Amino acid sequence: MVARHPPSSAAPTPSAGAILLLVLWAVLATPPPAAAENGSETTKGTATLVRAVMCDGIENFAPVNPAVVFPITIGKIFCFTTFDPVAAKTFIHHDWYCRDKLCKRVKLDLQPPRWSTYSSIQLREEDKGPWHVNITASDGKVLQSLRFSITD
Amino acid sequence: MKNLLLPLTSIRWQDIIDIILNSYILFRFYVIFRGTNAFRVLIAIVVLWFSQRIAVYAGLIVTSWAIQAITAVAAIIIIVVFRNEIGSVLQAKTVKTLLWDFARKTADTPVAVLLEAVYELSRTHTGALIVLPARDSLEEVVHAGIPWNGQVSKEMLLSIFWPDNPVHDGAAILQGSRVREVGAILPLSRNKSLPSYYGTRHRAGLGLSEQTDAMAIIVSEERGNVTVARGGRLVEIQKMAELGEVLQNHLGGAQGKDRPPRGEKRELVIAALVSFLFVLGIWFSFSRGQEALFTLEVPIQYYNRSPEMEIVNTSSDNVRLNLTGADALIRTIRPEHVAVRINLANGQIGRNTFAIAQNDIRLPPGIVIERVEPTTVTVVLDALMEKELPVQVDWVGSLPPDLIMVSATVTPATVRVYGGSLMVQDIGTIYTEPLPLDDIRKSGSLTANLVLSPPSLRLAPDSRERVAVAYVVKRRSAPEEP
Repeated sequence: MVARHPPSSAAPTPSAGAILLLVLWAVLATPPPAAAENGSETTKGTATLVRAVMCDGIENFAPVNPAVVFPITIGKIFCFTTFDPVAAKTFIHHDWYCRDKLCKRVKLDLQPPRWSTYSSIQLREEDKGPWHVNITASDGKVLQSLRFSITD
Repeated sequence: MKNLLLPLTSIRWQDIIDIILNSYILFRFYVIFRGTNAFRVLIAIVVLWFSQRIAVYAGLIVTSWAIQAITAVAAIIIIVVFRNEIGSVLQAKTVKTLLWDFARKTADTPVAVLLEAVYELSRTHTGALIVLPARDSLEEVVHAGIPWNGQVSKEMLLSIFWPDNPVHDGAAILQGSRVREVGAILPLSRNKSLPSYYGTRHRAGLGLSEQTDAMAIIVSEERGNVTVARGGRLVEIQKMAELGEVLQNHLGGAQGKDRPPRGEKRELVIAALVSFLFVLGIWFSFSRGQEALFTLEVPIQYYNRSPEMEIVNTSSDNVRLNLTGADALIRTIRPEHVAVRINLANGQIGRNTFAIAQNDIRLPPGIVIERVEPTTVTVVLDALMEKELPVQVDWVGSLPPDLIMVSATVTPATVRVYGGSLMVQDIGTIYTEPLPLDDIRKSGSLTANLVLSPPSLRLAPDSRERVAVAYVVKRRSAPEEP
């Protein structure tokens, strides 16, 4: 599951106030016309990761219950990342590993001047165990590794 | 053919000693008992035994059973019937003569004295019967002899057979240089083809020679002829020299006391050779005839591995060997006597396939490999490398529903490990042993062992096997503000 700002329907349903806030966020996050013209999917922009957490939900485009241990019963977990600043349109990867085995790779776009984005996985019974998510820049550099466990 | 000669190629030093020792024992039996009736029966038993082996080889079940029964009975007969003869032969021997002496006779008979006496008796037409025993005991066949035990001399012999002497009709039995008995009664021959001019004295001499290996010299009273009875035959002797030769041949003392004459030497060489071949045949029959098949599972040992490399994986840790060999040898085999060793000197990093050759398998002598399973073994070799890896807690169980664990800090956060490069490059994390969450109610810390998987992975000397885990838990809260 991939979600970009604004969050997809996979996230919990936002309230009216939250929608207003989200629209405001989108306006602020919209890049200037020159930057939009120059930017592309392949642009090697620089982006600084300021926050990366695992959480069991996203509400108002904010992580809910950041943690390092998640019960399998919650059904879904999220990797939430925030970049500030984002110099140019670029992308990152969220690489999900279960016991060092790559299970899912999610490509996420970043827009200047700052951007928050997340990815998620649906949990199954066999997913119990230690996991980690590598947040990787477009050049392949691992920006941060988030380690967590899926338990009973 | 290869299988047939296999026992010879795998012969052990113990087998060589075994064969030589038994060949010598058999040869000594021949030397001690040759010429006796017991020996002749013994030869018959050996022939029977040999026939029985051939019958077994040919698959003649009833024949082999019958011969086996006859052989067993014959063996008992030889001991019972010839017990006196065997006893007398053995009693007459010293340890030296039992073990290595070749002399046929134990005492010298004065041949010249005997010749003179015989021809004097012949000239005077004095009937005489002189017995010269060889190897056989005469106890069973000679009766009513009067012990004499006098030194052999011409005069004594003439006086014994003097017609007025009460014992002149009997036989005089000589032993070495002494007259042991006189007036002895010998068994009469039942040979009906004897010429009519041979009287009771000749018939007695012939009878003795038919039943024993003794020689009898008979002097005819009527004609004065000298006749020798030996080996069941009567031979008339014309000249003194001829009788001398016959006596020398019978007594065997002419060419030295301990050294056998040339003809006898040849006989002994042939006997030694036959003894050796016979025992070799028996050994061959044992080592081939009672073969057994045996399966053994042996661990593979690897050697000559480069210090910079390590074995990451092998296709098989054990080899099943189907072994064959003499039953007696197979029964003594223990797994530690067998080794399968693979030389890794030419091994390269990656997969290496080695054929398990004969040279790689160490077996006790006399044991032969019938089958090896598997015939090849694949060994994955890898160069050793060191790598720093993050440590992650492996949480298990469940926290109370109202709690969440917001952080878990491991100290040290990384450890250095080393192992085969192929293995280490695929490892991104070292996990702790499973740590249960169920009892956690508040923030705290604990220690945990590291789990190295696969087991060939090792921690670098400067890395610790246990790590400290500090964790923070808090109550679930509402979503954070953006």
